[in-house]
Amino acid sequence: MNPMIGKELRQRMRERRGWLLPTLYLVALGAVVICFYYFEVAARRTFAQNNLQGSEIGAALFLTLTYAQLSILLLLAPVFSAGAITLEKEQRTLTGLLTSLLTPFQIWWGKFFASSLFLVLLLVSSVPVLSLVFAFGGIGPQQILLGTATTLLVLGTVTAIGLYCSAYFRRSVYATAVTYAVIIVITVVSAAAFGILVARWTAQQEALRAQQMREGQVATATTVGPPPLWVRAPLYVNPYFLVTLSFAPAEDWSNDGIPSLTVYLLLFLGSFAFAVRQLRKAGEHT
Amino acid sequence: MISIHEIRKKYDGTAALDGFSLEIAQGELLGLVGPNGAGKTTLIRILATLIRPDSGSGAIDGHDVTRDPYEVRAVVGYMPDVPGVYQDLTLEEFLMFFAEAFHLRGARKRSAVERSLSWSGLIERRHMYVEQLSLGLKQRLVLARTLLHDPKVLLLDEPATGLDPLARIELREQLKRLNHEGVTVLLSSHILTDLEDICSRVAFIAAGKNVPGDKSILKIGAATAAEALSCEIEVLGDGAAAATIEAFADARVIEARGKVFRVEVRGGQDRAAELLWHLVTSGLSVLRFDPRGPDLEDHYRSLFGGKKP
Repeated sequence: MNPMIGKELRQRMRERRGWLLPTLYLVALGAVVICFYYFEVAARRTFAQNNLQGSEIGAALFLTLTYAQLSILLLLAPVFSAGAITLEKEQRTLTGLLTSLLTPFQIWWGKFFASSLFLVLLLVSSVPVLSLVFAFGGIGPQQILLGTATTLLVLGTVTAIGLYCSAYFRRSVYATAVTYAVIIVITVVSAAAFGILVARWTAQQEALRAQQMREGQVATATTVGPPPLWVRAPLYVNPYFLVTLSFAPAEDWSNDGIPSLTVYLLLFLGSFAFAVRQLRKAGEHT
Repeated sequence: MISIHEIRKKYDGTAALDGFSLEIAQGELLGLVGPNGAGKTTLIRILATLIRPDSGSGAIDGHDVTRDPYEVRAVVGYMPDVPGVYQDLTLEEFLMFFAEAFHLRGARKRSAVERSLSWSGLIERRHMYVEQLSLGLKQRLVLARTLLHDPKVLLLDEPATGLDPLARIELREQLKRLNHEGVTVLLSSHILTDLEDICSRVAFIAAGKNVPGDKSILKIGAATAAEALSCEIEVLGDGAAAATIEAFADARVIEARGKVFRVEVRGGQDRAAELLWHLVTSGLSVLRFDPRGPDLEDHYRSLFGGKKP
């Protein structure tokens, strides 16, 4: 076994966050379930909307929990990854690793495995909370598997980005700040960019439609149906979009799922390659 | 064992090493001395395969430091000027991890860790956390770590920095012991008295280059027949001691402080031994007889300037 993995896990489990974060994570997810139940079920019943189907509740609850889970894990991922290599630089232990027989890949893999494992542990620990949706129905095992797999891919990519920042920067504070900046770009900025592009495309289509009608032509311009690729493109980096596709029909996978998966795989591979390259020349800067 | 040829390294256009060359024989303990910024750390980091030189070559045990970094690491133990430790591991866990990082497994790993712990005198503290150790003990732990894989060569960059006098003495003794066991040591240090005590030779580096002329390497404690030894002699009683010393043809009293005399002896160590025989046979009770070769501190001053305090 890669010795880095054993060392990393030992050190991480000795930290206070080793037990504190899973606890807070589960408390937060539990709070989401309670809030969901109150607002979506209890409140509606109060207003005599008794025609709610269990399967609808189940699907909505699962989607809410998946989003909540992804949001919390996206917030936590940099905590585990962005400081992983900078800490070695700060406590001057990186030279010990670089002058041993460990390869830069082994160092990276040890850090990646330990950081990801902790996130996977959080994901697994939330299974009892997620299994509440089975009480309502409406969610199949394929959707659960796809949802989990896409969540894992997103977290793996964010962890790899965090490790690249950690290999690049000397101080944990910079590496963490830049990793969070990247998360904001792929979540908030990409969604905003999509919103702006949709608005522009809609305006263009409506203007074209009005022009076609003025000129007595058949109005072919329409805003019905999915927007074109250049409008959807920012969504391919958005993790919520990728996770949402888990619940979409199979045809949406070929249209949007595969490009989105490709973007994430490329981000992961790029971050991995640059991090290993950075580690290879890390001796120059330690 | 270590061969450095015309090695060059620049940082942002400034030359840290500018054609430095050095040969170190197997089993030698060589000191590397020079002012701050002379290029000592850069040189040691190149040999430890942390940095790639811009030009020139370096080889350890026949392995090129640029082309075969993993072969070099397998035979080298490197201790940086500020050694890092994992505070949240126990001493045993710390050493076990590095033993695995040097591909030691199973019984070999356990015996390497046991040997390192007992060699460094840390065996009783094996279950303590590293953060509980003093700086001196942490330094000892890092030295134990560098010895885990039985390196043939030790590269030590200012290993005594921050140590108290006792820890320094201990480190000196450990290095002597290792060198006695056949380990080749390249030791960079500003503590000239330590180098004088343990090194067989000292190499001087200035502005990334060898000091020009025949002053670039100094042999410690091995004066040639032409060189004068500085000998400190302490005797018991007898006011005629100075005269007895001066009666020896190649000896001259330079300084007398009560019963302690500083004497210049010409003709190398053989002649110094004859002086001791002369004093004893002349009836002097010699308490201390300490012949020393060219003084490292004087040599350093003559190269880099500065007056004796």
